[in-house]
Amino acid sequence: MSIEFKDVRKAFSEKAVLDGVSFTVKSREILFILGKSGVGKSVTLKHVVGLLKPDAGEVHVDGVRVSSSDETVLAAVRRVCGMVFQHPALLDSLTVFENVAFGLRGTDIGPARIHERVIECLRLVHLDASILERKPIEISYGMQKRVSIARTLAPSPRYLLFDEPTTGLDPITTNAVNDLIHELSRSLGVTSVVVSHDMGSALRIADRILVLDEGTILALGDRREIRESHVPLIREFLSEVD
Amino acid sequence: MGALAIRRRAHMLASELSDVMEIIVKTLRACVRGPRRRAEIVEHMTHMGVESLPIIVIATAFAGLVVTSEIAFHMDMALHTVEMIPGFSGQFIFRELGIAIPALLLVAKVGASTTAEVSTMKITEQIDALKLLGIDPVEFLVYPRFVSSILMVSCLTLISIFVTLACAIAFAVINHGFSTMEYLNSLTPFLSTKDLVCALVKGAVFGAVMPIVSCFYGFRCAGGAEGVGLATTQSVVTSTVLVIVLDFLLTYAFSLIL
Repeated sequence: MSIEFKDVRKAFSEKAVLDGVSFTVKSREILFILGKSGVGKSVTLKHVVGLLKPDAGEVHVDGVRVSSSDETVLAAVRRVCGMVFQHPALLDSLTVFENVAFGLRGTDIGPARIHERVIECLRLVHLDASILERKPIEISYGMQKRVSIARTLAPSPRYLLFDEPTTGLDPITTNAVNDLIHELSRSLGVTSVVVSHDMGSALRIADRILVLDEGTILALGDRREIRESHVPLIREFLSEVD
Repeated sequence: MGALAIRRRAHMLASELSDVMEIIVKTLRACVRGPRRRAEIVEHMTHMGVESLPIIVIATAFAGLVVTSEIAFHMDMALHTVEMIPGFSGQFIFRELGIAIPALLLVAKVGASTTAEVSTMKITEQIDALKLLGIDPVEFLVYPRFVSSILMVSCLTLISIFVTLACAIAFAVINHGFSTMEYLNSLTPFLSTKDLVCALVKGAVFGAVMPIVSCFYGFRCAGGAEGVGLATTQSVVTSTVLVIVLDFLLTYAFSLIL
């Protein structure tokens, strides 16, 4: 049970964004993918769920080759991978309840169980039922992010993918979201991949940290290994935290 | 332009056509599966039809006055009679004015708002979120708009023809001494069921084109606010040109087959 990248290459308009990237995400770990803006962190994440296809190389989720899968296989992969986007990406026309329940549409779960599941998921992200009937625009940005996480949790995914989950949040909410990711990963036993440019967050909750630069992996190791790294870019990131 | 640039442009065009075809096929497939999501369709019909009614009534009313005034002026100047006003103005209203004006107004109002909405959903990753939740964005966004647009543009076309004609009659009665019955009696020989069928078919086709084009540009939107602006402009321009071109093609086709 893992996510595996094998020599993945991806270019946009002849600019190589990923240039032979290979790594494996271990089961139940929290892996942070770190790097400057535009180095292909989000691109990496989108390859996992088939929103992007590699120009060369392979991406496997639980042994299934996502990079060449047809829509049916892709749908199965997407059922086990929940992704939290950089923006909350909630559907404006729907209420909080409808947004969280959205991924449960078309399943054989009955309306009463869907209602229970929505409440459960909101509780997991420390929100209560009082906001169920509100539209996304009627709640704060931080709450929208939490609702977005609740929506991702609703179909019970095995993998949680977070794309810059703390971007645009104040330091207090950032810490709260980081703690939430840590808590969810541990309590639900899921594997988490977090894309970020925030070394502070990575050092706070990551099991391993992967640093991307110029389309290649600059470093991959646990928090101690990254802290002790002498690579200039990593030292630069670390200096921001210190 | 170099060979590489031409090849790249051709590749891009082929990819765009393939995307449009995919939207059309998925939308038609959703339609074939039978009526669903009635509440959303009604909501879109209200937004498109009821909320657009005032501007369509105002614009087509004045169009009716202008056309009748112009036809009367030129007829009087060239033929020294205004007897043929009902025939010419009525036929022009039934065949063109009453159909094209509401379609173009709806492109500007509803088409632009649809592209802006879908583009914003694209850049805020709501479209990707839909895909990951197992929902086809075309079925979710295009299908209800497609059904409501066909129904509402057809209805608005009939309303528009009625309003434009009523204003044309009023102008002829007030300024040129026609009675309402005289106008209608003079108009009748110039019109047939064919004109009504043609109007309804054109309305339905324009109604089908609008959401497809609007959503296509929305799905392709990239970048931030600038991207939304660009997509909206491209959508309105393309839809406007398509409405005019299709208007000609349908008129020509109907002249051959009916």
